[in-house]
Amino acid sequence: MAKLNLALYWASSCGGCDVAVLDVNEKILDIAAVADIVLWPVAVDGKYADIEAMEPGTIDVCLFNGAVRNSENEHIAMLLREKSKVMVAFGSCAVSGGIPALANFKERDEVLKRVFMETPSTVNPEGVLPLTRCEVPEGTLSLPEFYKYVHCLDQVVEVDYYVPGCPPTPQRIWDVVQAIVSGNLPPRGATVGATEKSLCDECKRIKQNKKVKRFYRVHEIIPDPERCLLEQGLLCMGPVTRGGCGAQCISANMPCRGCYGPLPGVIDQGAKYISSIGSIMDVQSPEEVESLLETIADPAGTFYRFGMSTALLRGANR
Amino acid sequence: MGRRITIDPITRLEGHGKIEIFLDDAGAVENVYFQIPELRGFEKFCEGRPVEELPRIVSRICGV
Repeated sequence: MAKLNLALYWASSCGGCDVAVLDVNEKILDIAAVADIVLWPVAVDGKYADIEAMEPGTIDVCLFNGAVRNSENEHIAMLLREKSKVMVAFGSCAVSGGIPALANFKERDEVLKRVFMETPSTVNPEGVLPLTRCEVPEGTLSLPEFYKYVHCLDQVVEVDYYVPGCPPTPQRIWDVVQAIVSGNLPPRGATVGATEKSLCDECKRIKQNKKVKRFYRVHEIIPDPERCLLEQGLLCMGPVTRGGCGAQCISANMPCRGCYGPLPGVIDQGAKYISSIGSIMDVQSPEEVESLLETIADPAGTFYRFGMSTALLRGANR
Repeated sequence: MGRRITIDPITRLEGHGKIEIFLDDAGAVENVYFQIPELRGFEKFCEGRPVEELPRIVSRICGV
């Protein structure tokens, strides 16, 4: 059997998804046995020019992580889409914007001003900002355009499969690789590497009575490690988040932050969570609702921690 | 007119980088520009987030 051509790319990302792929450990040798890696900036030496020179469809599978923050991210996404038979949105940023999309709560120009002019470690008395074109004595230099809005991958190109997680866990990555190699993939558009049920379904904590009188921030209580975190007043996103992550956060006695994304059929994870906690609030009057909601420190940033590119409410920039 | 060599992307490190090398007529390096074509803006979007959540946000500055 001919070897597969595999590309792994990071757009606006942290590299954690790439490291998660390496965290399959010695199985990376099994991947190398069945696939040639044609692009993987963190680990091998492919250049954009090599990809541009390929015929369309040369790449069998592209695992694309990172959000689309600037024009280079979009350009490479379109390039890899053209050259790839199967395009996979890999990790929370590519699936729904992820942590970089928290910037959708801010205006684009506020971000640039803060970063390049205001931070205490910055000395920039002339207020120089990055330019997309810059003339130097030797020629013209170019930089990508910093977009107004952080997009996820399927907002700029067609995506065949989604692998959620920040990052996807190595075991789930291995499952996905095996499915690709064996050709045993579900219909296009499916989410793979995650379960179809909520994290609560695989959470072993004791669930008794969901009646919450107030919410707590994680430093305000030491939660009982045996009992449901949400019942103890911690804002655990488990009820509205896909399982498959191995429940790592809740195993460390920390609430789920929702990185595996919404359940099947749900388009807005944060809105679903508002509905979910609305049903467990133990309140009798509008005043009690108000005071209970005041115990939530950062509702938008918590409920949309990984999903601001796909949120129905588009933040500051739309 | 000298040559221009573009290395894009720089590989096997965390983050995005591009190098433009300009050579003179004799083929010697005249000037080199190192560019970082990425920005996410943690400096701004961390504002308004609860302080106890920051360890789980800023750990995504670099996951390598």
